Amino acid sequence: MSSAAPLPTVMVIPTGIGCELGGYAGDAIPAARLLAAASGCLITHPNVMNAAALYWSDPRIHYVEGSSLDRFAAGELALRPVRRQRIGLLLDAGIEPELRQRHLQVADGCRASLGLEIGPVVDTDQPLAVSLSLGASGISWGRLGCPEALLRAGAQLKAAGATAIAVVARFPEDPGSEALAAYRQGSGVDALAGAEAVISHLLSQELGLPCAHAPALSPLPLDPDLDPRAAGEELGYTFLACVLVGLSRAPDLLTAGQARAGDLQIEQVGAVVAPAGALGGAAVLAAAERGIPVIAVHNPCLLQVDAHALGLEVLNAASYSEAAGLLLALREGISPAALRRPL
Amino acid sequence: MSLGELQPLLLQLEREPGPLTPQILRALRAHGRPLRWAITAAEPQASGGCRLQIEAVILRPGAHP
Repeated sequence: MSSAAPLPTVMVIPTGIGCELGGYAGDAIPAARLLAAASGCLITHPNVMNAAALYWSDPRIHYVEGSSLDRFAAGELALRPVRRQRIGLLLDAGIEPELRQRHLQVADGCRASLGLEIGPVVDTDQPLAVSLSLGASGISWGRLGCPEALLRAGAQLKAAGATAIAVVARFPEDPGSEALAAYRQGSGVDALAGAEAVISHLLSQELGLPCAHAPALSPLPLDPDLDPRAAGEELGYTFLACVLVGLSRAPDLLTAGQARAGDLQIEQVGAVVAPAGALGGAAVLAAAERGIPVIAVHNPCLLQVDAHALGLEVLNAASYSEAAGLLLALREGISPAALRRPL
Repeated sequence: MSLGELQPLLLQLEREPGPLTPQILRALRAHGRPLRWAITAAEPQASGGCRLQIEAVILRPGAHP
């Protein structure tokens, strides 16, 4: 345990790019817990922390939706830690009644068993019509047919006093697809992730509230060869529990001008940790352009946008264990270069 | 509440000297409001420059599905 002051650190594992670690169902949580322990303060996003029926809550980990994290890194937003959020539940009108009821029961369970404040519940006034796609690079993207319906429901929740929003949208299903089979066996891209990001980005940007998304899907047939990294998504009927837990203590989002002592701002951030081949996202670039050290971790994915290609200076780490060591060194004021030979 | 349409976008961009973020945002904003973007490939050029591939989802005002 370090006695040095915490070193606020941003951890990014982009959604839907097939990262070997973090590309599945919250399988980066162990790495996030380690980096939180090493830094004393970790700011990360739902793709890292969401494991459907599984979750981990740690007061050192700040759960910030991806586009808000980008704006935080750009210096546009500050983060204010809170004791709790009042989570409004936004349900897609395209969800079938039985599946809708399953989600309401998860909310009930989180109220009764975890003590979370959840409600009100609002259904969109028309189905959101989510569609999935793959980009030129093979990473997952997606669209919404009715973005206005999402925002109308979100505005209704905000007006009713919600301070954070959990969204559940009905996602298209293709249980026989090769992509899904590959994902479940640990060799594919999360095809849902890109559309999930679009939904939460849109809502968070428009309403200025912490938001996160869970897809509504029918249960899949049992797969005896299921990869352990995808198992979190096959333990229950919904992916909602982790979202409610994550949002329950997500920091408030403020414009940088509203920040006061105790709030987190990008000027306090001492490092960014990201996969070595995925350094071309908004948060990493914004932080690097501010001179914040970037720790590039070996974590194979579909992309090869690395430090060399972008002309960035980074600290390379062969694993998240090594990244934790580098964070600890930075936190303690030890030059990482002094830990290598030759000097 | 009229947002317009969410559209995917694929851009090729020749990198110029200086910070990347403003160059990317400038290129994306010519097409609409960027909602999500990433550099998904970076290819060094014989000239010494670099060509970036950017994938994005943008909000295109005025367009409706």
